[in-house]
Amino acid sequence: MPLGIFQLTRTQIYVYIVGMADLMGTFELSVLLAILRLGDRAYGRAVLHQVQESLGRSVAAGAVYTTLDRLEQRGLVHSKLAAGTAIRGGRARRYYAATAHGSRALTEAKETLTKMWQGVKLPVAVKP
Amino acid sequence: MSGAGPPVWAEWLLERLLPARDRETVGGDLREEYEEFVAPHLGRLRANVWYLRQMISFARRCMQEGGTMTKLLAVSSVITLLCGCWLALMECLLRHPGFEARAAVALLVAAAGVATLLVRFLHAGVRRERWLWTVAVALMGLGVFSFARNARAAHFEGFVFIISIVLVVQGLLMLTTLGRHSGPGRIVARA
Repeated sequence: MPLGIFQLTRTQIYVYIVGMADLMGTFELSVLLAILRLGDRAYGRAVLHQVQESLGRSVAAGAVYTTLDRLEQRGLVHSKLAAGTAIRGGRARRYYAATAHGSRALTEAKETLTKMWQGVKLPVAVKP
Repeated sequence: MSGAGPPVWAEWLLERLLPARDRETVGGDLREEYEEFVAPHLGRLRANVWYLRQMISFARRCMQEGGTMTKLLAVSSVITLLCGCWLALMECLLRHPGFEARAAVALLVAAAGVATLLVRFLHAGVRRERWLWTVAVALMGLGVFSFARNARAAHFEGFVFIISIVLVVQGLLMLTTLGRHSGPGRIVARA
């Protein structure tokens, strides 16, 4: 029998509310995973390419940079500037890396998704 | 691929759309992508279209960053622009006596809408201008004048009523959103 929210303890309610709110969206997840995959080569353009590759569609640069900003504000990634190249007109590159909090959030997201999918067989059958 | 990069004006505009923190890095990333990947694969013309699309994606981001008042101002600026263009067009088509002066005023109203949008998005260096306050007060004055004149007229015209309200709202939003005077010739930007 599933638990109603009124049957949960205060800690459980806190985890329920904050934990669910903290869950990352698919796009945030793909950006954070792209940073992890790229390692020390994770600057804006490379992240954009990686995200497009993993999602299998074209993505606007604005969406990726907005997400990177949001992830940085939430403490999931940090960034540092590095010298630019001639093709960029000497403009600096900003390299991103996942923080410990970011790695933990990714692990939690993966565990949550795995739990959510338990008992569901793929492809999902729809009853008429 | 080397040589010509994205259009100079587009790069200039993008740099002003972006916050100072991202100006160099994002501009560099897009230029690199344009030169190394997009232009060789798509050709110069389609690469320029791609660049414009990226610019628009950042404009949306700028729009999302502002508060409710700032968003309202952007919407009212577009309405003011459309009202100005429509009024100017109608004056030119109907050609009532003295239509030239009224069409010129309508075009100035449209220009005020464009100028406000530019100030909203190109937030580098324009907030210190006193002319913003002058434009805002002029728009409000014009709105109140049109409203009063319409109210006294034999035939009450609904569209003039709407436009006069739009002008007053636009002026008020400009005064409250774009900046405030903190001393002679200086305006401090609001978040």
